[in-house]
Amino acid sequence: MKRLTALLAACLMAAGILSGCAQKASAKTAETSSAAQTTAAQATPEATEAAPVSLTVFAAASMTETLTEIAGMYKEAAPNVTLTFNFDSSGTLKTQIQEGADCDIFISAAQKQMNQLDISADSSVNTEGLDFVLAGSRTNLLENKVVLVVPEGNPAGITSFDDIAADKVSMIALGNSDVPVGQYSQEILTNMGIWDAIQSKVTFGSNVKEVTSAVSEAAVDCGIVYATDAYSAGLTVAAEAPADMLKTPVTYPAAVLNTSSNPEAAQAFLDYLKTDDAKAVFEKVGFLMAD
Amino acid sequence: MDWFPLFNSLRISTVSTVLTFFLGILAAYYIARMPRFVKGILDVFMTLPLVLPPTVVGYLLLRILGPKRIIGAWVLDVFGIKMVMTWWSAIFAAAVVSLPLMYRTARGAFESFDKTLAYSGQTLGLSNSYIFWRIRMPYCRQGILAGMVLAFARALGEYGATSMIAGYTPGKTATISTTVYQLWRTDNDELACKWVLVNIGISFIVLMAMNLLENGSFRSRKENTRKGDV
Repeated sequence: MKRLTALLAACLMAAGILSGCAQKASAKTAETSSAAQTTAAQATPEATEAAPVSLTVFAAASMTETLTEIAGMYKEAAPNVTLTFNFDSSGTLKTQIQEGADCDIFISAAQKQMNQLDISADSSVNTEGLDFVLAGSRTNLLENKVVLVVPEGNPAGITSFDDIAADKVSMIALGNSDVPVGQYSQEILTNMGIWDAIQSKVTFGSNVKEVTSAVSEAAVDCGIVYATDAYSAGLTVAAEAPADMLKTPVTYPAAVLNTSSNPEAAQAFLDYLKTDDAKAVFEKVGFLMAD
Repeated sequence: MDWFPLFNSLRISTVSTVLTFFLGILAAYYIARMPRFVKGILDVFMTLPLVLPPTVVGYLLLRILGPKRIIGAWVLDVFGIKMVMTWWSAIFAAAVVSLPLMYRTARGAFESFDKTLAYSGQTLGLSNSYIFWRIRMPYCRQGILAGMVLAFARALGEYGATSMIAGYTPGKTATISTTVYQLWRTDNDELACKWVLVNIGISFIVLMAMNLLENGSFRSRKENTRKGDV
């Protein structure tokens, strides 16, 4: 009997906690859905009568905060469109697309991954002859900067990229060779002549957010990420990539995929990303609009 | 082929298994003697890492052992050592996820222990530690060994928490699981396949050893007892 009572008490406790969380969550969704309803009612009649469309966007991890904010804004511009995001390293996303993942729009942090999916790109880059990019939809969306970031307080006293080879850096976090920021980092450090020397003190992350987390947690002495990630994570920037060491422009291409079931809606969202409203969100964190 | 990941994985699993051996049997022994309600709660805590996804375990470990967190900051202050991003950080991850396995099998083994043997030992004036190590442990040998092999196998195959707390530095913190992941991510399928085969090979050997040990103990027990014996 005692055991049963204890079991019952535990179940009631768990139920109480769960219902508390569920209430919070359902209150939140109730709020947003009622807000969406009122804005939808105020929106143009054509929009409310348009068929609901679901778009999947595969975007570079460095766009997590900005695209999430823009998605909220787009909900008012096109209430019938539901956006689902998959944020990860551009290399992983390219592999997922190649393996047949359901995706309407791809935004990469480097031309390389987009070229690997574009049949019109050079065959030396698109070695597998993949054809996923919808002709005419590919465009350069953003530009970013590559920076060296340090944990709060800069405990190792790092002031420039040259310090990476010095003893004061015992561990640096970089993106692996599949990640655009990792590729940019490798280019910079190879051009500086220190890439091979530092290999024993590099920990490789699978996307730029992993690198950012490692620096935020002070698990490493420094890391190389984008200026936008430094801003979003509140990280101190120790140095910017020396201009002559990074020859590849850090450009983010975007395109609609030819496997998309909603190419018009996808193109509409891509066009929205170039409007002034979206531009404001991007530029706030440090992106530059590509020409 | 760079064999460091194999060497690293094996040393991490071995140290982790030694740790979980002692922690697991001690926990099983003391928790089994506690009042019902306390036993139930402690049991849940001990089994939790088994049920939680390894990434959750890794995240929690990072929040405790990271250089800016409770334990990590203290260790950094007092000993000047960073507890994450080293090869031995993976030992914490492996030990935490494999402890429930050792604990549960040990507890099962201890609960099937015939207490009259312990009582006889006490009436003969033997110390508690003698009774534990020389009577209880050999009696429960089968279960304890099974627990150890399971814990070793789990530690060897640990990926999520290891990747989060030890990072990936080839030649310093790379394990077989993190290496295979990184090789796949960087399109190096050939080498990834080689490591997959190595991993299957080792797991095969470990499980064969487990079977042999179990059958061996079982056979000797069967031979030593006859119907009607206490």
